[in-house]
Amino acid sequence: MELIEELKLKMIEALNLEDLKPEDIDNDAPLFGDEGIGLDSIDVLELIVLMERNYGIKISDSKTGKHIFSSVRTMADFVAENRTK
Amino acid sequence: MKERNFLIKHSVKIEPNKVSLDGIDVLLSERYNTFLSDIYHEKRLAYPKFFKMDILCKVGFLATEILLEAENIERFVPRRDRSIIFCNKSSSVSTDLKFTHDILDLDNFYPKPSLFVYTLPNIVTGEIAIRNKYFGETNLFVMNDRDDNVISELVEHALMDEEINSVVGGWIDAESENDYEADLCIFEIKQ
Amino acid sequence: MRVVKVSDSIISPLGFSVEENFDSLLRGGSALRKYNRLWGLPFEFMASIFDEEELNNYFIENIDITKLPHSNCTKFEKIALLSAFKAISSANIDPKSHRILFILSSTKGNIELLSTSNFDPNRVLLGNTAQMIARYFGNTNKPIVVSNACISGLCAQIEAMRFLKSGSYDFCVVIGADVLSPFIVSGFNSLKALSTEPCKPFSINRNGLNLGEAAATIIYSTVDDGKNNWEIVCGATRNDANHISGPSRTGDGSLSALNYVLQYSGCKIADIAFANVHGTATPYNDEMESIALERAGLSDLPINSLKGFYGHTLGAAGVLEVILSMCSLDKGKILPTHGFDSLGVSGNINVISTLQETNKHSFLKLLSGFGGCNSSAIFTKLRKL
Repeated sequence: MELIEELKLKMIEALNLEDLKPEDIDNDAPLFGDEGIGLDSIDVLELIVLMERNYGIKISDSKTGKHIFSSVRTMADFVAENRTK
Repeated sequence: MKERNFLIKHSVKIEPNKVSLDGIDVLLSERYNTFLSDIYHEKRLAYPKFFKMDILCKVGFLATEILLEAENIERFVPRRDRSIIFCNKSSSVSTDLKFTHDILDLDNFYPKPSLFVYTLPNIVTGEIAIRNKYFGETNLFVMNDRDDNVISELVEHALMDEEINSVVGGWIDAESENDYEADLCIFEIKQ
Repeated sequence: MRVVKVSDSIISPLGFSVEENFDSLLRGGSALRKYNRLWGLPFEFMASIFDEEELNNYFIENIDITKLPHSNCTKFEKIALLSAFKAISSANIDPKSHRILFILSSTKGNIELLSTSNFDPNRVLLGNTAQMIARYFGNTNKPIVVSNACISGLCAQIEAMRFLKSGSYDFCVVIGADVLSPFIVSGFNSLKALSTEPCKPFSINRNGLNLGEAAATIIYSTVDDGKNNWEIVCGATRNDANHISGPSRTGDGSLSALNYVLQYSGCKIADIAFANVHGTATPYNDEMESIALERAGLSDLPINSLKGFYGHTLGAAGVLEVILSMCSLDKGKILPTHGFDSLGVSGNINVISTLQETNKHSFLKLLSGFGGCNSSAIFTKLRKL
């Protein structure tokens, strides 16, 4: 499966985005703030756990996280470059 | 019964198969497992945060949605004169058990922050304050057995606050995903 | 009608009496230690934790275990009982009286029992612990537990004030207690809220909080026999309706609570010696508090946080910190903010870093917590004893 699609499915599960399907999430739309799917600060922490658990990537603080998690595409690029599993 | 300094404007009750408003059944279902999401969809609530909530918050959120809709005044207008005062027996035990399970395996250790937040029983009062823009007091009391006299007294206490004129309050408890109860009212101070 | 403090007690890793605790603070002693892989947890953290052997000995010396429903008390039950016992022993009251209400403040109580194999599910219930404590002292009233996250300890005192002012009881025994467990430490760690170093409230390089264990009790009453010197004057709790785990950036909830007590207590800002605030040393909490304090017109008021001595003691914090603030004004002193170096918040506030003298008689308390709740109260010394 393409990494982007895989990430969308994992995100929907980890963040309980029950009313969303993968195709509802635009690859380049911002994940945070009022546009896009409007994730919040706990979601960032949850995404940090997702990255560590699934791809062996440790992100130490939410500030770095915010940049990596700006869209599904930035996340996928970061995973492709840094994954250890 | 002791005379109280408040009037009850509306009341709502949610049980695992029944919702009643002001004492009249408004929703009945045999679909225990999906009852809460059924209510959410039936009411067309469009509040995606609902799916992130734990059981206690879901019950409290839906109960207050129904209660405040019945009040029939403009909603989501910031209010500084309304408090949320809940009483409960089981604290957040259902989520506490899940989080306990989450941290058992120390070699595969990925506790979920979004779960931990819900291991505080007062989060339900915060969810309702956020949804409705209520800036008054929010408080959560735990007691071994429901005692309506104590609940009334705690509501009266909240109305001792010089800036508070009404309280959304009552009993809300969730022992497990399928065993919960909300019995909430809008209380208004007697003028 | 005044609500006055009749007696108090502190059980903490810094000592088993108020005096021991206060002396320790004057000497700059902190209970924070570094723990690595404690309970097998795969991370390092800094915390204030009881020495179990010392605590057990003290417990056996003071508590009659034959009067308890279980032979094996948990650490939480032990410190809560001990703290209540010490406050009741030093007050001239009959704890069996139906005019006395027990109020327990705790966030997670006996939560560690959930991970043991054959636990009694009832014993995890906070109401059950409260009842056990009240029954130990022969009190048959139904106790109440305040579980309002980190502000519980102050909310419990405000609730006691309301019970007493409404005439329902003559005395309220307010017990604040929490202990640490893999549950609580892992939770705060998952929120990336913990520092591996001693916390630095309000400082530029603060990077998180430390957790701590403690129990503290205050007995309040409307019966003033002239021997009591502290009054809880006024208190309020306000939500900021912003986010369940992040405080409002504008400090709205704390500001409303502060404004309320400043308006309705009858106290002038000029008469207040200091504000003992939450000051957990997380980036967001301290920033929010500084903004609220400045917006409330308290930029010049000396500010302190006691988290550098005890860490964040959760449900005990509001009671513990009020007792120590009373104690410091009894001695005409303002305690320093242990761990503070250079101001790193955008609100203009006056954080105290060294022990100071004062001749004023009132102080402000401020706390905030998850769920968006904020609480403030004003306490005034009535007379010198």
